[in-house]
Amino acid sequence: MKTSSSYTTIAYLFMAPALILMGIFTFWPVGFNTYLAFHDYALVDGTATWNNFAHFKYIAGEELFHSAIKNSLLFLLVVPVIQLAALVVAKLVNSKLPGMTFFRASYYIPVITAVSIAAVVWSNVYKYDGMLNMILSWVGQALHLLKAGEMVEIQWIGDPHIAIFSVMGFVFWKGIGYYMVLYLAGLQAIPAEVEEAAVLDGANAWQRFWKITVPMVKPTILLCTLLSTIAAIKAFQEVVVLTRGQSDTYTALFYVYAQAFQNYNFGRAAAAGLVITFFCMILAIIQFRFFGEKK
Amino acid sequence: MMKFKRSLAVAAALFAATTMSAMAAEKTKVEFWSNSLSPKFDSVMKDLTAKFNGSQSEIEAKWVDVDWDAFLPRLTASLAGGTAPDLVNLPKPWMDDLAQKKLILPITKQIAGFKSNYTEGALKDVTYEGDKQIYGLPWYQVTGVMFYNKELLTKAGVKEAPKSFGELLAVAKQVKEKTGVTGFAPKLNDGFAGWFLYDGLPVVKGGKAVFNSPAHVKLVEAFADAYKAGAIPKDAYKMGFEEQIAAFDGGKVAIFAEGAHALKRTKTDAPKIYAQTGVAPFPLAGGKTPFGGFLFLWSVPKTSKHVDAAVKLGQFLTSDDAQLAFAKASATFPSTNKALADPFFQAGAKSNDPIEKALATAADSIKVTSTLTISGLPDEAAMNKKLDEAVEAAITGQKPAKQALDEAVAYWNEKFSAKK
Repeated sequence: MKTSSSYTTIAYLFMAPALILMGIFTFWPVGFNTYLAFHDYALVDGTATWNNFAHFKYIAGEELFHSAIKNSLLFLLVVPVIQLAALVVAKLVNSKLPGMTFFRASYYIPVITAVSIAAVVWSNVYKYDGMLNMILSWVGQALHLLKAGEMVEIQWIGDPHIAIFSVMGFVFWKGIGYYMVLYLAGLQAIPAEVEEAAVLDGANAWQRFWKITVPMVKPTILLCTLLSTIAAIKAFQEVVVLTRGQSDTYTALFYVYAQAFQNYNFGRAAAAGLVITFFCMILAIIQFRFFGEKK
Repeated sequence: MMKFKRSLAVAAALFAATTMSAMAAEKTKVEFWSNSLSPKFDSVMKDLTAKFNGSQSEIEAKWVDVDWDAFLPRLTASLAGGTAPDLVNLPKPWMDDLAQKKLILPITKQIAGFKSNYTEGALKDVTYEGDKQIYGLPWYQVTGVMFYNKELLTKAGVKEAPKSFGELLAVAKQVKEKTGVTGFAPKLNDGFAGWFLYDGLPVVKGGKAVFNSPAHVKLVEAFADAYKAGAIPKDAYKMGFEEQIAAFDGGKVAIFAEGAHALKRTKTDAPKIYAQTGVAPFPLAGGKTPFGGFLFLWSVPKTSKHVDAAVKLGQFLTSDDAQLAFAKASATFPSTNKALADPFFQAGAKSNDPIEKALATAADSIKVTSTLTISGLPDEAAMNKKLDEAVEAAITGQKPAKQALDEAVAYWNEKFSAKK
């Protein structure tokens, strides 16, 4: 006869391979990072000395870190937009029309495209003499908003007032397919009868979307919102490849990177990283309150 | 019996294999990292490595190439992990940073016996200002040469290449006015401090930031004027090496400055533009050096256990013959006096081929070239960012130059005083 404790043991045994890997590559680095955040770490001899919160005091008064945090929080604007868009797109490609697989695949292609390659393409879109301005110029001229030969010359990734939004546009394009697939899985779990019953009761498409689809994919919404919030706060790669942090697009993780690999100040980088984690956790708690199952 | 024989043979083979690897292990293994040279210069690097290994009985060098973008993160991580290589190929500004953080070793003593081989300018570059110690073995160097589109300049009524920086900006404006094409693409995306130094203007003096004097303001304003007139590209801040070449190749920019190697791209990608490319030395200003000078060198990381072997390898790589071989393969310049005097570099002085001409022009400029960089800042990442943002705001017309520089100077001095 099996006791419950032997079940537990077996359960842990099954989890062990994953736990060991996570321990080495996730928990240990997080722990060491926390340790570093409170110490002056000398790269030369690997010694760490307790410094009485000096790193936290420093970044608390650091203008650059403040603006980096501000930019990272600004990045959160992309979360509701990408969630709603991904849900709508998922709904659209969830139909049984022929050729749907093609659309599903096309929306997913940006997700699997290397960020560096995608960035090369997008910097040509965003350049002041790039594709986006060219299209806008055509449209403007066709509608006679612009004089013939006059070109739109917006610096999409060069103007500090709009550059960050352009980077968000890139993040949106890159990420929407990922969330679409998650929502698609959520949508397919909705039994067809519910929708059919609603149709019989005379509910229109708008009502069915808000009264049936949205409530029934709520767990997926929570998951996707969490993931995209964390991704937004962690925005870094997209910034490096598109703007190198210029034009007021310097994000919090860019600060961490610069402190570690340009200034070689690992302690300060760790402290900044910890502060960012703290922001992530607060946001996660709020989201669980909003979307989580009430018990 | 058969079985016994076979196992004996296996044992013997095993024994031989282990002793051979043990013998090989007796050699001191020295790993060295070059900086973004693969795959273009694989053959010359492999050749040099093989030559070195052939000449040594006790050292075995292993060549690894690391990409520019990955170089510092990878080096830093390996230093922290104690697995750093024995010799690394650094550009001068990185050497300063790493020397300041004591992550590379001074080799003043080791280099003493042969340092007179190198040019004076190169030796000055490998000496870290902070402690006057030598931290690297000078290797290849490049300098900026001016390339111009002859057809565009002629159309604009410009008869000869500009001879001063002021003239260069004036010509750029004239080209824009007469032809509609952007005149000059200055390199701005690596930071602006180098331009101050190019103009002979100090950035830091006596532990204080001093880049808001009237002369500094005037230089920034000159750039701002050119930007406003469209004489320099609207996206000048987005243009690196690749983008500048692409713009020149596409006939979108009339003048740019780079090393001769940049033209190799034009030759293959835009033969029509190449045929009408003119070459002239980059005009000197108050700093008495052309813009775009850059020295690469070999340094020994702090964690190296084979310092002498590493220096020996570095000495070989930077010897006259090895430098000459590399320079010829890469259209760059050696940093030893003897290699630089090689007739190869002056062969193109009278040539009509732009690359050959550029090489000869640069060979003259290289003698007065030094790397324009500042070092020893307490929070380099944040300070450079502040300076560059301030200048960008001024050049793109979002802020008056004086105000932008004043703000950046105040920020710098705050950092300097916080350090004390």
